Amino acid sequence: MPTTSPQLQLATITSREYRPPGFWCVSIRCPDIARAAGPAQYAALDLPGGFAVRLPLGIFTVKGDDFTVLFQEWGERTTRLAHAAIGDSVSCIGPLGNRFSVPQRGRHAILAGGGLGVAALWLLARDLREQGVKATIVIGARSADRVVGVRDLAKHGFDVEVCTDDGSAGFAGTVVERVRALRRPDVIYACGPRGMLRALCNHAEREGIDCQISMEETFGCSMGTCWGCVVPVRRGSAQGTSYPRAPGEARDYDLARVCADGTVFHAKDVVWV
Amino acid sequence: MNGPNSTPLDTQVIIGGAVLRNPTIAASGCYNRGFEFGSIVDVSRYGAVTLKSITRYPRLGNDMPRIATTPAGMLNAIGLQGPGIEYFLAHEAPRLTTVPTAVIASVAGFTVDEFADVAAAMDGLPNVVAIELDVSCPNVDREGVCFAAEAGSLARVVEAVKARVKLPVIPKLMPNVADLKPIARAAQEAGADAISLINAVRGMVIDVVRARPMLANRSGGLTGPAIRPIAVHAVWEVAQTITIPIIGIGGVEKGGDALEFLFAGATAIGIGTANFRDPLVHVKVIEAIEAEMQRRGATSVDQLTGLANPGFVGKPVARGAPVASKETQH
Repeated sequence: MPTTSPQLQLATITSREYRPPGFWCVSIRCPDIARAAGPAQYAALDLPGGFAVRLPLGIFTVKGDDFTVLFQEWGERTTRLAHAAIGDSVSCIGPLGNRFSVPQRGRHAILAGGGLGVAALWLLARDLREQGVKATIVIGARSADRVVGVRDLAKHGFDVEVCTDDGSAGFAGTVVERVRALRRPDVIYACGPRGMLRALCNHAEREGIDCQISMEETFGCSMGTCWGCVVPVRRGSAQGTSYPRAPGEARDYDLARVCADGTVFHAKDVVWV
Repeated sequence: MNGPNSTPLDTQVIIGGAVLRNPTIAASGCYNRGFEFGSIVDVSRYGAVTLKSITRYPRLGNDMPRIATTPAGMLNAIGLQGPGIEYFLAHEAPRLTTVPTAVIASVAGFTVDEFADVAAAMDGLPNVVAIELDVSCPNVDREGVCFAAEAGSLARVVEAVKARVKLPVIPKLMPNVADLKPIARAAQEAGADAISLINAVRGMVIDVVRARPMLANRSGGLTGPAIRPIAVHAVWEVAQTITIPIIGIGGVEKGGDALEFLFAGATAIGIGTANFRDPLVHVKVIEAIEAEMQRRGATSVDQLTGLANPGFVGKPVARGAPVASKETQH
């Protein structure tokens, strides 16, 4: 999966939009990152305050010199970003991480997003549209009020199907249940909660469908140096460590760094422990 | 900073025979193999980078989660994940030549022999100018053995390594002891060429929703500005009892923080977690040290060492005239 060389840039916050019930879409002017960003890549933001590490956020949409990040106001760093002023400077490193691989023209893709996982799908939909790939976007949330990003994702002209666990909007059920019911695609792309990703990987494996997932972890460095955000991967897979097996080691897998070797992994490579 | 006709400032420091172009050192565990941050910043502005610790055998490390953010800090329990010395030598060491500054190798072990074997294998690798001994990692179960917790154990490790390597040897000590001074003295008497102070401070974060510790390892090592006063005091205290150089490490994120360590008695400054937030931190630190040298008329960095510490007993390599303010204190 392709990567790009990241940049350290001083950027400017250009807009912030509250999306009930607790989400924010913040726009950041940074031409180098906006132009270079690809599907599932992220930026690591340095926010004022007593924080020891950056806030890594997926790059959601791109327009001209600006990129946006979509996030929930949750901890202290996201609160700080949500309430930053227009015109504030913010140091960004990006675009970081690898990208979803886009298939050949004429193929059919399903893009599955759970909750804020939709943030990884906008650039993917853009690139699939440019490549001439047919796509169905399936996004889900617990309830209708927590569905985000439908209008943004619809911009690329693909159908956007909504699923809610409680049936308050669209398909009553999970994204995974909806994907299972759809016509078999050539590739599934997914970003969302761990349980959803695991179920989609199982589905794809059973059906023999290519599946790429963008994973999330708590990052320390965001640069691949601290090994704090590892994910178990099949021994010998390209993205993992290829260390010899440690003596007395019961765990039979390699490890990959979500921040630098991912965030995108092939479903067949991920070991769910 | 320097006028066109002024002499460039001499920022060189000597750590137990290892000559560094300036006193900033990327701390172990935060800079992996030294080249990753080179994609966004000039790593050559570091006086040295310390590698993530290498062990005798491969290690997968601890389970996830390994990281929790804390007020002004970060808690980690990686668990010495690494390829083991044989894989490192075959596949990773050749790339050390691409690191654009001096390299300090870090060695971790579970027995005295492991330390000695791995250190001996590192001795003489290209670009490697010193060997740090991670005798104090808070995140691995050593069956009750933490070498930096007890003077005798530490001395045995240092002596065994010194007997096998030519490069300067730098044990990294921890603050989680009743009295650091006898432990630091034991390191010096065993032949250590310098010491690093401090390793991460043992800590814990509890997830109150799940009612269990946040990290899979339960406890972790706290780093970042939260531990800086602990580290500065450790340097200040130990600088009154040993004469070998001290690399002060703990929460440095700007120039003034580095000066605190120098004034407490450090010869060089380790920078760890701050790289994650500001990858240019080392450039800012060295520029602040240069500005302080000019302000005080110092001709070498070691003239700043120990300025705030009346009991400082270190013997920095004398180069240039002593700083006036320092003379008044000694």
